[in-house]
Amino acid sequence: MITIQLNGKQETLPPGSTVETLLPIIGSDGKSVAVVVNDHIVRPENRSSHLLQDGDHIEILVFAGGG
Amino acid sequence: MTPLPDWLTEERDSRALASMLANSSPASLEQLAAESRAITLRRFGRTMSLYAPLYLSNYCSSGCAYCGFASDRTTVRRRLESDELQRELLAMKKLGISDILLLTGERTSRADFDYLRRSVERASKEMQRVSVEAFPMSVSEYRKLAECGCSGVTIYQETYDRERYEALHRWGPKKDFIERLETPRRALEGGIKSVGLGVLLGLSEPVEDALRLYRHLRHLGRTWWRAGMSVSFPRMRPQTGGYEPPFPVDDRLLARMIFAFRIALPDVELVLSTRESAPYRDGMAGLGVTRMSIASRTTVGGYDDPESAEKGQFDVSDDRTAEEFCLALRARNIEPVFKNWEPAYNGPSHTESTQTEREEKEPCH
Amino acid sequence: MDSLQLGSYTFSSRLILGTGKFSNADVMLDAVRSSGTQLVTVALRRFNRDMAEDDLFGPLSAMEGITLMPNTSGASTAAEAVRAAHIARELSGSPFIKVEIHPNPQHLMPDPIETYEASRILAKEGFLVMPYISADPVLAKRLEEAGCASVMPLGSAIGSGQGLGTADMLSIIIRESRIPVIVDAGLRSPSEAAAAMEMGCSAVLVNSAVAAASNPPEMAAAFAGAVEAGRRAFNAGLMQRSGSAVATSPLTSFLGTGA
Repeated sequence: MITIQLNGKQETLPPGSTVETLLPIIGSDGKSVAVVVNDHIVRPENRSSHLLQDGDHIEILVFAGGG
Repeated sequence: MTPLPDWLTEERDSRALASMLANSSPASLEQLAAESRAITLRRFGRTMSLYAPLYLSNYCSSGCAYCGFASDRTTVRRRLESDELQRELLAMKKLGISDILLLTGERTSRADFDYLRRSVERASKEMQRVSVEAFPMSVSEYRKLAECGCSGVTIYQETYDRERYEALHRWGPKKDFIERLETPRRALEGGIKSVGLGVLLGLSEPVEDALRLYRHLRHLGRTWWRAGMSVSFPRMRPQTGGYEPPFPVDDRLLARMIFAFRIALPDVELVLSTRESAPYRDGMAGLGVTRMSIASRTTVGGYDDPESAEKGQFDVSDDRTAEEFCLALRARNIEPVFKNWEPAYNGPSHTESTQTEREEKEPCH
Repeated sequence: MDSLQLGSYTFSSRLILGTGKFSNADVMLDAVRSSGTQLVTVALRRFNRDMAEDDLFGPLSAMEGITLMPNTSGASTAAEAVRAAHIARELSGSPFIKVEIHPNPQHLMPDPIETYEASRILAKEGFLVMPYISADPVLAKRLEEAGCASVMPLGSAIGSGQGLGTADMLSIIIRESRIPVIVDAGLRSPSEAAAAMEMGCSAVLVNSAVAAASNPPEMAAAFAGAVEAGRRAFNAGLMQRSGSAVATSPLTSFLGTGA
């Protein structure tokens, strides 16, 4: 298992997880989220090939209300 | 023909001024005077900044129909040589003058850029502040002038009515309306700290000219927002050459213009020269005007040799001495100010272009 | 009413609506609809599976004629704002970015130095930068020179509903600006929005005033009417106020009675 920081919380994932496999686990359809791994944006077309590593910091962001 | 820029024709910007200048304006002259006086007092206090013109040369290459120095006039042509300029500067200093405006005609081989630059350099050694009213220059020439101590450039459009402009400027480099219009911008781009604009009242329909002048000032102010600006209100006086102004401006309209400009432009210097009479200048002091010329001679060499019978560019109306004039100001509770700055600040302004296209500095000799 | 130009975008509405602080997304969407706005702000937040309906991207992008303007709220430095802008562009596909940097979460006052730095960088990268700033005329000119698409000075403290407390400074900013000036923050009532437009503002951004009204969609429509009325009044040219009282001893007697 690998340990990652997801939106500030620690999570464990099976080895070989990618950004794409992560999204359904956390309940996102992946349509309107931005994924940032270690301060780098992972674009939708790269999500299936982006392997997650032990210790990665992952931010998943959406648009919410704001002024 | 190059079309007029939008900023010159966009009327929305000058609506407030237009309504103050309109014949149908609900504001009486007295009301405008009261408001203008209150703004002037708040912004400038009870002071009047003073300067004097110094004619370097009356050579000219242009044919301005209204000017006593136009190239077809029979006026004796001369320029001040460096020893004469030095005498002239010392004579002015004796009169208490330390802020001067150096004047030439349009560019000629006898009074070209190098001559002007040398004159600025010499004058800035003697005077607290040196400004120039000469021919249009390039950005790099303006930068050189700024580096030699020139902090202000006065360049009047004369009239913003393009057709009238082209008819009045019969020949020479001044004939190009757009080129003239672009000159203050080049001065500011070159690092000149302050520009003076104006129209020669009498040449064209005065209210429309005033509105366009105002829009020109606003455009420059928005673009070159660090720059100082002044507006002059030269009214045509009898000229050498006998030109009769076709649109004479009476005392009341001139006063209305000055008040309206003060209200519309609270922070801008408004200038009234010795073209105007002593009673008119005394009456206007404190009501809106913040800068006046004093003890003016409009001949080349007129300070060192005041008895010269030579004809100047125009006849001075207020011919009081500096001392008499200051006394009159003080009697109205206004402090004459000769020095409002420190020459240490006279270098070029830091415009964007100084960072991006810094040119080779030419040493001032 | 004449249209609002921001970069290459043209908007017929001059009301920009914020989407925060609404009781729920449906009310917010109703307010957006009834305001007639074409530009709405959104904020970046961490995804949270328990609040999936918070995601506004889907419903807003499904609405016709709405352009998103993400903000950088939450950023307290220029670097954070630049990073947020990059992520936001990825998500919105919009070049608009409202640069909003407040180091202090109590007052939400914009940091002028960090805001300038972030705006300068983002404008160079091709964003349509809309910085939220204090009503500081010099800062506004510096941001214009830095390539911003507009400046958005506050009318008063964000969410305070104190109206146009900065009116004197706003009028200088409007007078001197060559880019659109949009009053952002502090407005409470439509009449204040109309007053801002009459002064010559190019647009008005409201959020709290609509979200915290008893009937947000109705208030959004009221703001739309006020913004339009104010703009039309500005275009029509207001009558000049009459001059000050006439002095007891005339100032212009030296001129004679003249013609």
